[in-house]
Amino acid sequence: MFKDLDPILHSQLRLAIMSLLISVKEAEFTFIREKTNATAGNISVQINKLKDAGYIDVIKQFKDNYPQTICKITPPGIKAFEEYVKNLQTYLSIKK
Amino acid sequence: MAEEKILTEQESLALITSMISKAKCDYEETGISALLWGIIVTFCSVVSFSNNYWWNLSWVNYVWFLTFLAIVPQILISIRESKRKKYKSYHDDAMGGIWISFGIAIILLSFYSSVFNSNSQITLYLILYGIPTFATGFAQKFIPMIVGGIAAWIFAVISMYIPFPFGLLLSAATAQLAWFIPGLILRRRYLKLKNENV
Repeated sequence: MFKDLDPILHSQLRLAIMSLLISVKEAEFTFIREKTNATAGNISVQINKLKDAGYIDVIKQFKDNYPQTICKITPPGIKAFEEYVKNLQTYLSIKK
Repeated sequence: MAEEKILTEQESLALITSMISKAKCDYEETGISALLWGIIVTFCSVVSFSNNYWWNLSWVNYVWFLTFLAIVPQILISIRESKRKKYKSYHDDAMGGIWISFGIAIILLSFYSSVFNSNSQITLYLILYGIPTFATGFAQKFIPMIVGGIAAWIFAVISMYIPFPFGLLLSAATAQLAWFIPGLILRRRYLKLKNENV
């Protein structure tokens, strides 16, 4: 049965961030910015939305006197991502 | 990348694939550690062989202490590389654990060798060299290190059947195949990637 795609994940930048974070244990904000080619402001907004949904953890700390933001996917985030991919595959196979 | 663009299902799948592959392609291994140990172990093995075969000077055998001195630059390299890295992969901790346990095993084996002076110790070193090398190559799907690990074990078997000090030449060959050559390949890849990103 086809289920609606998760609206939190079904957006270009949020999906790109989640796809990056599912591939690594944790990543710095700058890593996400480099890989997505998005602006820092856009990424911040989308990271906050993912954080509010409980899909990622955001750790703010200092490294060599500079602020550092580390993002890490949470177990509910992994579950939501897997569900999203599963629904996507189901949808695409129905469409064929 | 647009902040709220709604994607079609095909676009979503393509984006997921592209991002996962971008994260995987972020090859940051500099190869310096592999080169360092490849050079040090080759140098010590060749000097030690020359000494045992031709020179017979007791103090020259202390050349192996260079491997302990090399721990200092290795620690500095590890600290610098971890500071530079912008992400942590799932296998980073596992790889660190494997190489730290290898270092401890080598120190214990050196201690064992000094207590029970035996010419067969080269075989044990070669067996040990193969373990982290093969494990790293296997985990990272890096064929030169898989080959290096297997070569170390083949040389370990050969070293059982050849007289001392020729096993030291096998030790040098192992250092070249397991660390120096893979290190050169990693270094070349790293510099290529670095130049592309400039």
